[in-house]
Amino acid sequence: MSWTGRANRRFQASYSVSAVNPIRIHRDKELFAMVILREGECPGLTAEVIQALRSQNVRTVVDLVSSDTEELARKCALSYKTLVAVKRVLLAQYTAFPTNGADLYEELLSSTAILSTGNPSLDKLLDSGLYTGEVTELIGAPGSGKTQVCLGVAVSVACDLKRNVLYIDSTGGLSASRLLQMVQSKACKMEEHMEALRRIQVRQVFSVFSLIEALQDLRSSGFHQVAGGSGSVKVVIVDSVAAVLSPIMGGRQTEGLSLMMQLAGELRTMARDLGVAVLVTNHMTRDGNGAVKAGLGRSWSHVPRTRVLLQRVEREGAKPSGLRTATLVKSSRQVLVKKTCSQNVCH
Amino acid sequence: MQRDVASFAFAPAVKVRLISAGFLTAKDIRDLRPTELSKEAGISQQEALEVLQEVRRGPAEQGAAESRLTALELLEREQALGTVITFCSALDQALGGGVPVGKTTEICGAPGVGKTQLCIQLAVDAQIPGCFGGLGGQAVYIDTEGSFLVERAVDMATAAVQHCTLITKDTEQREALQSFTVETVLSQLFLFRCHDYVELLAQTHLLPDFLSQHPKVRLVVIDSIAFPFRHSFEDLSLRTRLLNGLAQQLIQIASQHSVAVVLTNQMTTRIGQNQSMLVPALGESWGHAATQRLILHWEGKHRFASLYKSPSQREATVSYQITPHGFRDVQLPDPSVIPADPSLTPGLNSRKRPRVEEGDPSDV
Repeated sequence: MSWTGRANRRFQASYSVSAVNPIRIHRDKELFAMVILREGECPGLTAEVIQALRSQNVRTVVDLVSSDTEELARKCALSYKTLVAVKRVLLAQYTAFPTNGADLYEELLSSTAILSTGNPSLDKLLDSGLYTGEVTELIGAPGSGKTQVCLGVAVSVACDLKRNVLYIDSTGGLSASRLLQMVQSKACKMEEHMEALRRIQVRQVFSVFSLIEALQDLRSSGFHQVAGGSGSVKVVIVDSVAAVLSPIMGGRQTEGLSLMMQLAGELRTMARDLGVAVLVTNHMTRDGNGAVKAGLGRSWSHVPRTRVLLQRVEREGAKPSGLRTATLVKSSRQVLVKKTCSQNVCH
Repeated sequence: MQRDVASFAFAPAVKVRLISAGFLTAKDIRDLRPTELSKEAGISQQEALEVLQEVRRGPAEQGAAESRLTALELLEREQALGTVITFCSALDQALGGGVPVGKTTEICGAPGVGKTQLCIQLAVDAQIPGCFGGLGGQAVYIDTEGSFLVERAVDMATAAVQHCTLITKDTEQREALQSFTVETVLSQLFLFRCHDYVELLAQTHLLPDFLSQHPKVRLVVIDSIAFPFRHSFEDLSLRTRLLNGLAQQLIQIASQHSVAVVLTNQMTTRIGQNQSMLVPALGESWGHAATQRLILHWEGKHRFASLYKSPSQREATVSYQITPHGFRDVQLPDPSVIPADPSLTPGLNSRKRPRVEEGDPSDV
């Protein structure tokens, strides 16, 4: 199952349905069959049937499918045949179809792309670049260069790969003049600069709700675009996720965790469905022993596939330099044997 | 489209009732009438109406049109916004023209290094008319420490007006100078006094309305943001949450109302393995809050300003001084003081001309 760790009712719903059906690889959101029974949803489900079922406290598809049909037919004074027919249609409508691993692998091979970040040593650290269909995270202290790396990735994808980029900014760190500076160092002609800047779409969000709306907008417009054409978005950069999530987490606020997992679900579904690479930035905290870890807690730490830690190079007594190091902290593909790379911030 | 009910901004009680009644996505709710929804979910009619309004709001009405731009349009917008100069040309150069409008800048420093002086200077400089290179706007000053002195503001305003009078060249500037006097500078400076963090949070909540009523405001200064949060605050995680929420509100205000937001922070000591160093207060997560961070410090008898964090400018350290006129550049030594005999200074090449430093750095 690819949705481990989600802390809301959907997880329970998927478990109760699979108690009835054998285990499948769930690929569809339509799995969440806690939907209310409505008339017309399938033939045989008329208003009287629904009323009768309601009187027995059977309101949703899950309730109907998991109840005993004979007893229900007796209590509601309904025909056994209609109930069985309705149940069969609903099951057919709401189950997911299994797929086998080989097909999945083929699909992955043909649909995944690897995008260069513009910095060769960082590419090597990330196993040749950002993978589409996955979430990559950058963590670091203030001033460690997270926004600069994000800007670099946006410029690299817009200039070299000539693809669209969606940059969602929640901290005000996006500076178009800095983007222009970076673009100018890559391309020579004015028209190319303008072209590259036109390919970077910017959304400014200041709360988690507007962030989720922005991602939804992209998904709904993504389905209308020609797949694989030069107009489609290939990278989504969210800078930063911690800025919108940290005010609502903790204390007596119960919604924070749920909204965080909603956001996580949106990011991952979007990465997989639209075939984009998602790059997010996060804060850095220290745990009890002083070791470095990502902000937003343990639930969020499972969301990104790859995590890179950025640090300033502190030398004793010397002036602060523009040098930063990037360390691979979490990766599902590579062995973490002290993989670091250095980069200068003014590229 | 298939947006989940849990991701909408409803009250938690309403959300729980909707989800337990079986409404999981926006699609389930969209086609219902308010009476049906309130009966099904067990919420009041008023709440049902609000829920439906929120769910049915299309993306075009959500103001998405104005917040979705390409980088090219953003560039044009940024260039039109301008900066607030500080009257210290070295610092202006390091900051890329001055304190940027539309972003938050944090100024950290030890006591007595000049943070309040810089804030008062910025509040005066924001009002310099456009033909002299300023923004011609009004300023809001939120004082939490009680360190704002009107006499100092008068001194700085007088110096600024005098400076502009001296460099007036054409009639447009002369006309603008009519409306740029010490009285107008003081009358366009809005001062708020907050005594604790609750008042500060309330003031920040009310600030968007105030800015909508006074669209000419170009600068908001909060001096200081550390003071109300540092003393008598027992719950540190609450403090972090409040500060993060405050930071998001401030960047939203800066961005939507086109103002430059300047915050002042204090310093605290961090004890490392075998040394202690001064770092900005309010914790490490606060470091992410401001877009730009400027650290003012002493080195011997001289004051220096370091740009520590900026998305568009390189890190730099410049020196400045506080004069009776306000925040200014350090006057570089007179060229005649440079020794004429090259053999006394071993670094100088006797065949090259000695370097002559620029005399007047504070050009507007």
